[in-house]
Amino acid sequence: MSSTFAGLTNAMAAISAQRYGLDVTGQNVANADTPGYTRQRAELAGVGPVAGVPSIYATPHASGGVTVTGTSRLNDPVVDGRARAEHGRNGTLQTSASTLSNVESLFNEPSDTGLADQLNEFWNAWSPVANHPDDLTARGVALEKAAGLVGSLNASSAALDRLTQGVTAQLTDVTGKISTAAGALAKLNGAMVQATASGINTNALADQRDVLLMQLADLAGAQTANQPDGSVTVTLGGQTLVAGTTANTVAVDSSNQVSVGGNAATTAGGVLRSLRESLTTVLPAYAAKLDGVAAALANSVNGLQQGGYDLSGAPGGPLFTGTTAAGLNLAATDPAKLAASATPGGNLDGSIAVKLSDLGKSATGGDAAYRQFVTGLGADVQNVTQQAAVQQAVTGSVDELAQSAAGVNLDEETSALLTYQRAFQASSRVLSTVDEMLDTLINRTGKVGL
Amino acid sequence: MMRITEGSAARGSLASLQSSASRLAILQGQLSSGRLITKPSDSPSGTSTALQLRAELSRMGQYQNNASDGLGWLTSVDTTLGSATDRMHQVRTLVLQGLNTGANDATSNEALAQQVDAARSSLLSLANTPYMGRPIFGGTTAGANAFNADGTYAGDTATVSRTVAPNTEVQINSSGTAAFGPNGDNVFDLLSDIAAKLRTDPSALGPDLDKIDAAQLRLSGQQALGGARYQRVQATQTAAVTTTIALKSQLSELQDIDLPTTAIEMATADAAYQASLATTAKIRQISLLDYLR
Repeated sequence: MSSTFAGLTNAMAAISAQRYGLDVTGQNVANADTPGYTRQRAELAGVGPVAGVPSIYATPHASGGVTVTGTSRLNDPVVDGRARAEHGRNGTLQTSASTLSNVESLFNEPSDTGLADQLNEFWNAWSPVANHPDDLTARGVALEKAAGLVGSLNASSAALDRLTQGVTAQLTDVTGKISTAAGALAKLNGAMVQATASGINTNALADQRDVLLMQLADLAGAQTANQPDGSVTVTLGGQTLVAGTTANTVAVDSSNQVSVGGNAATTAGGVLRSLRESLTTVLPAYAAKLDGVAAALANSVNGLQQGGYDLSGAPGGPLFTGTTAAGLNLAATDPAKLAASATPGGNLDGSIAVKLSDLGKSATGGDAAYRQFVTGLGADVQNVTQQAAVQQAVTGSVDELAQSAAGVNLDEETSALLTYQRAFQASSRVLSTVDEMLDTLINRTGKVGL
Repeated sequence: MMRITEGSAARGSLASLQSSASRLAILQGQLSSGRLITKPSDSPSGTSTALQLRAELSRMGQYQNNASDGLGWLTSVDTTLGSATDRMHQVRTLVLQGLNTGANDATSNEALAQQVDAARSSLLSLANTPYMGRPIFGGTTAGANAFNADGTYAGDTATVSRTVAPNTEVQINSSGTAAFGPNGDNVFDLLSDIAAKLRTDPSALGPDLDKIDAAQLRLSGQQALGGARYQRVQATQTAAVTTTIALKSQLSELQDIDLPTTAIEMATADAAYQASLATTAKIRQISLLDYLR
């Protein structure tokens, strides 16, 4: 036998449960566009007969209405983990692609203004010297072209240096961001542990935490492990970045070694890894190749110059000093001192100049080295750009999957809104019906015929 | 089944808009620059070939300049040797006159001798003809003259040549001794000798006629040689023009766009972009809320 007023309590529980459902739906609608927001659902459960009640008080067929058991956060943790892993890879590749494109833009090839064309003009300038060794204007032009080459190689080297400095600054910036995010995550960990222990809804905190975790994955490819107390532990390159409420700082030393809390971290992913690789291997390798171009140019030209004789018949000296792109300089300033003749005595032989004009065809000269440099750079850029595009697509599709689980669909929320509204209205009707019945029972009983 | 959410729908339509727009931007760049390869990563192997072709083209241009310069020199050699031959003709006539007049008329013989002297100095100045400040019969001498006033050779025996094609050097100079005779037995010695004989003993001039003929033969021989060289340089120059055209078309095929193809691709990309804009605008407007009152 159920209580006389059970109907009223049941209806009241239903009304408040439906209202709570409406609140959650409202929260979802309000945050439909909030980054990092995960949709929530009010978990309702029917209340059955209370177990363990002595049989004479038990109500076998009636029920206790409805109750709110919790608010679930509808994400897919497995997909979220995958998304973080893909974001880590994506961060590396996108950053590498952009760094390499920047390097490529320093070398404007193939064009009429690139170094390759300057080399062509330099070699061609030796032909008039070969044709008219006594023409100081022709010699002056050859010297000017040499000065132009020196200037271009110096400028390219300086631009590569500036790019390296830019990447170093980026690296400092990124480590700062990682440390900041790690600090914020440690604070959130504390709040999560407290809230979990006292049974408070942690969904909003979890949303903030996932945003930070994604940021750490993007920046550094950090690995995440959930702890039973509600906190997360984050490791970076084999070292603990965040554990509980403790966060370590990330630093990079002058040799570009990444350390977490003072301990050297081995491999990291994300933007951090790309920047570090650029600084330790990629950019130095390009600088070395550019130096190779300068060395090949200087050696081949100087070799011929020193084997020849200048306009006055004296043995020729080197045209270039230095064997690096940054250190290359002109050794000669007097056009008459350029060696064009293969024989001493101050004659107008031009066979050394002829050989110089043919150096552009040499397989070991500066041209071939520069062509290999440009082609290699182009292939690297193409390769990394394609990889980055593929990774972008993969990351996008995993993000899509994560969004599919966690994102808000307004149509869905609207229909939930209708359901809760109707249930609220019906519960109110139940309440008023029970009230009318009680009214009949209380006020009309015993008044038959009155 | 995959849930479609507001976020994923927005992201999806944005991504497809982005990809259409970037395709459009690439084609736009190709159309406005006219180039398929604007940076090495567009085609690394194509860039390598393009750089080589450009170097080749640039060398071809220089070969043509060298050839033009060589032709100028050879023309100068040709006209000079032609004039020298004419002078020798005049001298031959003078010698014949001297022989006919005999030893009787000292005055007219002196006049003939003076004409021979004039021919000698004219020949000397022809032998010292410069091309761009440099005596063309002096080999690689740095001096201003190929022959001294006394008729001795002042130049050297080195050759002067021009690189007119890959690995092709053509000699363009005629050595002064080959054209005017070796020291001690050259045309200047001969003419001095003739002038002296005219003044002293015109009857001894007989053997000089043969010597004049021999000198003329030397001059015209060198002139013919110069002509042959001229033809050779000219032929290589013509070949270089053909090669240049071939290289240019090769380079263009490699790095330039095919205008109609790119224009059609551009139109297609434009249509795709507009279609994705239109569908995005349409689909993103529809919601259940439109149908609830």
